[in-house]
Amino acid sequence: MALTILALFMTGMWVMILTVAAFLVIFVAPLDTYLFGGQGGRLTISAIQAAIAIIVVIVLVLGLNRLKRIYLHKKLQQ
Amino acid sequence: MLDGVNLITYGAAVSAISFFGVLFLTPATIRSLTAKHKVVADAHKPEKPQVPRPAGPVIMISIAAAEIVLFILTMNIAVLAILLTTAIAFLVGYIDDIRVMPGWFKPVALLAAAIPMVVLDIYVGEVYGESLNLIFGRAYIPLLYIPLIFVIIPITGNTINSIDVLNGVASGFLIIASIPLLASIAIFGSYEVFLAALPMLFASIAFYRYHKFPSRIFPGDSGTLLLGTMYGAVAIAGSSEIIGVIALLPAVMNSFLFLASVKRIVEHREVKARPTILTDDFKLAASTDSKAPATLVRLIVVDRPLGEREIGYQIFKLAIFTALLAFASIAIQYIVLFR
Repeated sequence: MALTILALFMTGMWVMILTVAAFLVIFVAPLDTYLFGGQGGRLTISAIQAAIAIIVVIVLVLGLNRLKRIYLHKKLQQ
Repeated sequence: MLDGVNLITYGAAVSAISFFGVLFLTPATIRSLTAKHKVVADAHKPEKPQVPRPAGPVIMISIAAAEIVLFILTMNIAVLAILLTTAIAFLVGYIDDIRVMPGWFKPVALLAAAIPMVVLDIYVGEVYGESLNLIFGRAYIPLLYIPLIFVIIPITGNTINSIDVLNGVASGFLIIASIPLLASIAIFGSYEVFLAALPMLFASIAFYRYHKFPSRIFPGDSGTLLLGTMYGAVAIAGSSEIIGVIALLPAVMNSFLFLASVKRIVEHREVKARPTILTDDFKLAASTDSKAPATLVRLIVVDRPLGEREIGYQIFKLAIFTALLAFASIAIQYIVLFR
């Protein structure tokens, strides 16, 4: 039973990683095109992309932490 | 570019050197370490047998021999970068093996292991692609990729190091996690890096023979750090960073749970409240201490106490599951790239 729940937990982590990867490719990579019409400065675009990527990764870690808390609270308090 | 014959010949040569190197040198290492009283107690067994440690030097010698041969044959700079990164990680681990270092030492010292990859790419080139493989596409981030290397290398090294808690787990886990990584490197990376990654897999297979339950030798920090760091280095050089992370998820989860519990970088031995307790019949049970850190093993034994061998198999089942998730990710990327 513990193994099945752990496997589900890892599937959740996998889905979150793929979601973040897809978000970065679909929305963050072409930022220059739909934000500055392809005319933005390279350094400015890179800085904005890096900032968004870091925020998204922090959100991912916080999400994983929340998932962990829910799971641990349920299992270890039994 | 390697042709099919060279790929098979070189692959067979580096695999054989690393595999037979570890296979034939380890028994002599066990005898030598035992004679020098370089042993530690295997705490989870009734008699607490003394097990020799570390096996890092024999793993390093075998992998280095294979990588040097591969570098001479291909003159590929990524092979040299992987070898140097692995060697520095081995030295960091070996210092920790012979002297007890504080918790911050390994993650900080492992930053040095990332230097050969960055420096060789800047001055020679073609160590890594400067773009992050994000499965659904690539993000070209030449400047941001450098700090990312300094993050990935210490994390993978410490992740494999932190899962080395029971007999055979670190080596067995790395064998399973390496398979999807190698497949990804062969498809999305380069054949040279694929060849450079083979010694990691074959040295681990040979070492598992001695490390599996009941262990005849422990890898030590030098063994686990060199293997974990090499895993990170080949994932970077082979454009398979995210696939590498997915295959490593159980170990990543273990590190994440531990760090989220103790909220600081600390050695496991420095934590007073243990995550598991040893029962009278030498099984591991989950600790009921609320201050005890959460770890993968604690979660596995939360329903009922389990023996050391059984917990190892449970971790391997999880590793196989995440290896399948990594293969599913490879399939998604293949469809996105070649549709």
